[in-house]
Amino acid sequence: MDKAVKFVERIQIALGLFFLTVFFVVILFQIATRHLGISIIWTEEVATYSFIWSVLMGAAIMVNRREHFNFDVIQKKLKGKMKLGLNLFNDAVLIVFNIALLSYGIDVVNQFWDYTWTSLPDMKMGYIWIAVPIMAATMILYSTNHLIRHVKEFLGKGVQS
Amino acid sequence: MGIFLVATFILLLLIGIPIAFVIGIVALLGITNIEYIPEVTVPMKMVNGLDSFVLLAVPLFILAANLMNSGKISERLVQFALAIVGSIKGGLAQANVLVSMMFAGVSGASQADTAGVGKILIPSMKENGYDTETSVGVTAASSTVGVIIPPSIPMVIFAGITNASVGALFLAGIIPGILVAVAMMIFVYIIAKKKDFRSYERVSAKTFFKLLADSIPALLTPIIIVGGIVTGVFTATESAAIASVYTLLISMFYYRTLKIKELPKILFDTLALSSLSLFALAAASGLGELMSYYQLGVQAQEFFTNYVDAKWVFILITIAFFLFIGTFMDAIPAMILFVPVIMPTAAEFGVDPVQLGLIVVMTLAIGLITPPYGLCLLLAAKIGELPVERSFRAVLPFMAIIIAVLVFIAFFPDVAMHIPKLINPSLF
Amino acid sequence: ACGGSDEGSGDSGSEGEGSSDSIKIVAAHNQTNEENPYQDGLLKFKEVAESESDGNIEVEVHAGTIGTSESELVEKLKTGAADVVLVSPGFMTSTGIDEVNLFAFPYLFDSYDHWESVVQGEVGDEMGQIINEESNNDFKLLGYWTAGVRHYYGKEPINSMDDLEGKTLRTQTSGVISDFWEQTGAVPTSVAWGELYQALQQDTVDSAENAYPYFVQQDHHNTDNGQYITETGHDYTTRFLLTNGNKFDEYTEEQQEIINQAAEASVEAEWESLYSQEDEYKEIAQEDGAEINQIDRQPFIDLAKPLQDEYAEEYGVTDLLEKVREAK
Ligand code: NA
Ligand code: NA
Repeated sequence: MDKAVKFVERIQIALGLFFLTVFFVVILFQIATRHLGISIIWTEEVATYSFIWSVLMGAAIMVNRREHFNFDVIQKKLKGKMKLGLNLFNDAVLIVFNIALLSYGIDVVNQFWDYTWTSLPDMKMGYIWIAVPIMAATMILYSTNHLIRHVKEFLGKGVQS
Repeated sequence: MGIFLVATFILLLLIGIPIAFVIGIVALLGITNIEYIPEVTVPMKMVNGLDSFVLLAVPLFILAANLMNSGKISERLVQFALAIVGSIKGGLAQANVLVSMMFAGVSGASQADTAGVGKILIPSMKENGYDTETSVGVTAASSTVGVIIPPSIPMVIFAGITNASVGALFLAGIIPGILVAVAMMIFVYIIAKKKDFRSYERVSAKTFFKLLADSIPALLTPIIIVGGIVTGVFTATESAAIASVYTLLISMFYYRTLKIKELPKILFDTLALSSLSLFALAAASGLGELMSYYQLGVQAQEFFTNYVDAKWVFILITIAFFLFIGTFMDAIPAMILFVPVIMPTAAEFGVDPVQLGLIVVMTLAIGLITPPYGLCLLLAAKIGELPVERSFRAVLPFMAIIIAVLVFIAFFPDVAMHIPKLINPSLF
Repeated sequence: ACGGSDEGSGDSGSEGEGSSDSIKIVAAHNQTNEENPYQDGLLKFKEVAESESDGNIEVEVHAGTIGTSESELVEKLKTGAADVVLVSPGFMTSTGIDEVNLFAFPYLFDSYDHWESVVQGEVGDEMGQIINEESNNDFKLLGYWTAGVRHYYGKEPINSMDDLEGKTLRTQTSGVISDFWEQTGAVPTSVAWGELYQALQQDTVDSAENAYPYFVQQDHHNTDNGQYITETGHDYTTRFLLTNGNKFDEYTEEQQEIINQAAEASVEAEWESLYSQEDEYKEIAQEDGAEINQIDRQPFIDLAKPLQDEYAEEYGVTDLLEKVREAK
């Protein structure tokens, strides 16, 4: 499991950085062309959509690294099994929410796959919407991995005490 | 239903679910409860919330700040600030405030300042006989000017929500930001006298000019950014791109402190930090959608016209409300959720959007140093290895300073608006 | 999830009680300004639908509150998050229906009379069918609204097409429109609507084009580069008032009838409001000192004609184009 997670995360980081770079380069290109008096209409859409992809990929990576901001007052006060139990519960909440996001995300992709970009009619909106189920699926993977680890710890603690 | 959603929100928050997900879950629960709105609206609104050209400024400004820190530009600014104010009583603390002002002119966020400057100055303040409370307090509090002095990510977001002019908002932040910083420096001077903090030796004129020359390229950044936006040469998003390219170029070729191989790490940090706040924004857009269906904006407007009917009360309530929200929520989701709610009322009372933006952004800046969720406070406390409760106590007097300036600006807006109107009347 | 009457305000205990025959309609446009003709039109829709149904139909009007972009409103219409929305031809294209582009052709109409007779006649009906069929009944046309007739405004008046040579012009950047302006010699430029005031004031762009109620409300006529208005009248704009066909089919016959009736009333109300605002804002522009001049439109019309032919063939609407021309 850990190996699979590492592999998926690596791909996801590569994707996130790729789209961040594309977005950055396209913005610079837009500034340059505008000041040269050339009007290129696709830059804004390409930049925005790359940006959306990079944010959604980044958000999933941050789930794996548990860096989304949260309050740990109660978690810090609890000890032992109670603490592990709460961690388990929190993992499960994230998994359930992401399963919902995944299924609605797939629904959106199906409904809007064939809609087109405004500036590039050959590009489909499906290429953008699909980032949502991909994000949700990887978040499920990462949270499940956390869950498994917490279950192991929970059982391990049970044996010890 | 409303009560159920608020209770769920608080419960999930307390048990440690990440706040962005708490917002998303509550949005989904709420929309599931409204029969005539399909649940797919939540993921759709999350993406549509991100689908905005102004938001592209967020990662770009974060990139610029990361480049400043990695390229050791912050270190030079600290040296320069020390050369200017180091010899005053409490020199290190003075320099801490001053360098935050300089940093604010390049960075659109405050956290990068707390992290970058804090890492240098908190340890050295401690070494020089400052108590940890003062070191942490000054560092956290002074970095809040990062979002008041332009450029400012929260201002860009506010402009995106309301269609207010980014250029006008940026210019309007200059005087309040300087007021906050100057008031903090005066306060630092008073406690330095009382606690008898050391001052630094005055540097020689030669060293001073060398440090000045060293800092000038970095200090030009705000002029490029704000100047570019105000004269219409670039948009806010473009100015953010220019700022990051400029910092990249000066740290690679002028300061020669940044190597190409460090870039992937800097890019990853940018991706990490920006997706954290932008994912919260996406989730907040989902919840904001729920609030639009309940037409909270219309309800707020009716409430205020029926029961309040005084502009100053509205302004005070707005400040109190965002002060409260800012204690547990980031500025970006807070604005996405609640600015649309207060906009109709603000318009009715004739509060100028730029003035409202300044008030909201300054209030939410205070949220950066209030627990439980004050990013700058948490960061500074971590660097100084001081418990959050004690750090908060250290920050309280500084908070009072920001609130005093905020209330002053709220009721004498012309103080802030003078510069923008002078420089570019067409922005209004 | 549809057809409910739940308002979600606190206690939602009345499940199933008579909710099958009462419906709630979310009607939305993208203009946040409540003085907009769109708002008048949708309020009329609400008034008629609610009074004719004795409250059996409830209409909730959103002025920009559930989306300020037209593409978002179209998406909402498809998923059922909105029931009645307003869309311009440019945004309909992204749903894969190319034919609607016809209504965005420059100089397609030469007067409101011409426009009215087309959208109320055979071409209007056919376009409605095309939209319904190609969207698989996702979209059903309820009526045609307008966002006014668009004119040029810039830093100098134009007296002939030559005056446009090399002038940057803020306009839509989709195919036929930007092609047309390029052929006049102007340089089509993309500037966000919200940034246009500043762009005109600071000489970032030389000129723009829009209808009086829209650009005068934004004060563009008071800028250095917006004070000379030339009545080019190049676009009698069409807006589609749409509902979700699948949901519509589930309504009772009586409800459908009432909705159609309300739509008809809204069309009248929107036109009336737009026409009177057009006069009103033109006067305001004049009072504020903007200069308005007329221009011989024939050279522009001659330039547009081959472009219309070319694009009509591309979109497969040559027949419709002929019918529009015959209706003059
Ligand atoms: Na700043
Ligand atoms: Na500081």
